[in-house]
Amino acid sequence: MMKAVVGFITGIVFVGLVGWNMADVMMLREVASPYSVEETAARIQRNIQSLSANGWTLSGLRNPAKAVANSGSNVPPVLLIEACSTKYSGPILKDDATRILSILMPCTITVYKKDDGKTYIGLMNAGLMGKMFGVGDIMAKVAKDQETFVTFDSSKPAPPLIKVRPGGGGAGGKDADGC
Amino acid sequence: MFKFKYKGAELIVAFVLSLGMIWPAYATSDAKAVDKAPVKTKGSSVDVFDIATEQDKKSTADHSKFKELQVDFKDGPAVTKACLACHTEASKQLHKTKHWNWDYINADTKQHLGKKNVINNFCTSVPSNYKFCTACHIGYGWEDENFDFTAEEKVDCLVCHDTTASYKKLPGLAGHPNYKTMEWPPHSGKFRAPTDLKRIAQNVGKTSRATCGACHFRGGGGDAVKHGDLDSTLTNPSRYLDVHMDAKGLDFSCAKCHTSDSHEVAGSRYQPTAVDDKGTFIRGSKDERNAATCVACHGNVPHDGEYEKMNSHTDKLACQTCHIPAYARGNKHTKMSWDWSTLGEMDENGKPKKIFGSEGKVLYDSKKGDFTYDRYVIPEYQWFNGEVEFTLADTKFDPSQVLKINSFKGNADDGKSRIWPTKVFRGKQMYDKGNNTLVVTSLSDDKETALWKNFDINKAVEYGMKYAGRDFSGQVGWIETEMSWPITHMVAPKEDVVACHQCHTENGRLAGIDGIYMPGANNTPLLDKLGFALALLTLIGVLIHGAIRYFMHKRGG
Repeated sequence: MMKAVVGFITGIVFVGLVGWNMADVMMLREVASPYSVEETAARIQRNIQSLSANGWTLSGLRNPAKAVANSGSNVPPVLLIEACSTKYSGPILKDDATRILSILMPCTITVYKKDDGKTYIGLMNAGLMGKMFGVGDIMAKVAKDQETFVTFDSSKPAPPLIKVRPGGGGAGGKDADGC
Repeated sequence: MFKFKYKGAELIVAFVLSLGMIWPAYATSDAKAVDKAPVKTKGSSVDVFDIATEQDKKSTADHSKFKELQVDFKDGPAVTKACLACHTEASKQLHKTKHWNWDYINADTKQHLGKKNVINNFCTSVPSNYKFCTACHIGYGWEDENFDFTAEEKVDCLVCHDTTASYKKLPGLAGHPNYKTMEWPPHSGKFRAPTDLKRIAQNVGKTSRATCGACHFRGGGGDAVKHGDLDSTLTNPSRYLDVHMDAKGLDFSCAKCHTSDSHEVAGSRYQPTAVDDKGTFIRGSKDERNAATCVACHGNVPHDGEYEKMNSHTDKLACQTCHIPAYARGNKHTKMSWDWSTLGEMDENGKPKKIFGSEGKVLYDSKKGDFTYDRYVIPEYQWFNGEVEFTLADTKFDPSQVLKINSFKGNADDGKSRIWPTKVFRGKQMYDKGNNTLVVTSLSDDKETALWKNFDINKAVEYGMKYAGRDFSGQVGWIETEMSWPITHMVAPKEDVVACHQCHTENGRLAGIDGIYMPGANNTPLLDKLGFALALLTLIGVLIHGAIRYFMHKRGG
């Protein structure tokens, strides 16, 4: 009996350690982009707009690196693209049990440069997050749309970056629809 | 319902499940530790400059009170004549400088250089394009090869000494500002009022970042194009961009480092100082060496306290290698490549076209071909001992290889090189396919042969070569080229220097630099094998020892 419990606990610890080390890979996804930070962000914006049938709109474009520069320090370029679809956010926001997930809204995709000089895209693993928080069906659709956001058609020219001011709450800002 | 066989197993399973739910939260909230860049804690040698800037702005002369300047000047040379009434020797001094002659002979390599002689991979060459290029000449009227370099009134005092920020020499006017109302930029519908020479002349002062930057920030034909570490964001920079030029801090003008003597300014791209191992020197002393080096102020043992170890890096690294982690950090995109070979493509109406990129920069121009840009660019590093060998107009080369417009000499073993950060500008440009030489191209001349008028590269090169008196085979080809620029401005705050792990790691910033051993980045296979063998032997020894003790215990028990 004792051996079984010890073995079980060892298993738990092992799984926990593996999970701990894999957490960032499982929860967040990083993919390289062949384009500059601005062009990558602009292409993602266009892809988001192409899924307007699924309710997607741009909610904002933030430049956190600029804020750091204003405070007197250097960080490589980072752009946060915010997007939201009321088609997906609505059911989550309606339910008391899942309304707390609004903390993850709007959907944010980050585009940034690393020390190797290359551009990367960072995404949340919407599918896994959805399963964890009990909204797996909805988030599976979000995850599918996310794939479209980061699939680029190199035959198309670089679109201009849309400088969307972050939306002002439920009604959205002047320039942006929000969730 | 499923029942667990062992008591308490439900509790364990529940614990595991809850662990599974919460570990991602821990993982995401526990952001990876950011390596702290070295922070120098003790007093710095630069403190002495805190008092300098305000003094610079004070002058003992109010030029608005000079009767010579209370005149409605008809043109720039008329202003210069007025200046020379008091500053009698100024033009004679300037006539001896690189800024005036665009002509330079490197005493070490004997190469005949200077802006009017060198062919680069931006707009390529000055001859036959004088009226445009000389918008950045410190003179008036250089529109062809007959320009009089001895004329004192042709020196442009205002371009360096304007304090009103309203003096602008426009391309196409051979170094003159506009004296009449003029549409600028061309076909823009915007009009530029005549230059108020009287007001500008009455407000002259010391040079500033704005006056030097009027040309040097716009090298290559536009803001931020050429150098990467010089652009208009340095006119009024914050501390993050450059600790020396920080407008609210030390507020250095360019001249603070680039001191001048009889109007000859310290520093050179043709003959840079790659290594300064002579320590600090007092400004105003008779020291002949370049004043515009880091060591000239900071000395050659600049780190103290817990970062004293950094001093042991200075025999291999230029200061800039650590202290300028990236260039083009001011949110301006610098041009990274220029492919001339694609020029001439027209829109559906047969008109010249421009295609813009996501950041709003021109990616394609029928007049010029394709461009790429970048910002916050990690430099390319190379050994450099200060010797630069240029591919000159008459240099023969192998067109099957990428041609280096300038080669930075140096290596790990010569004892006089340091690893430098550089911007490598890549291009594809026209060359003489028959003679395997670079060519002079007429881009902007008034004549119909100019490329930007007729889009015919053959005619443009033919005319350019004839203008320059050079032999031309009649065949234009395209050659891939590289040109290196040392990165030395945009010095970051000490907190933002390149951190240890950015080099001391596999495939770090200095990967590919030969002749150095860096812990963390390099390994010695033999040493590695020896280490692993020792560890393995130790493990075997421990196991044998443990086994013996176990069996002895059993036997004894």
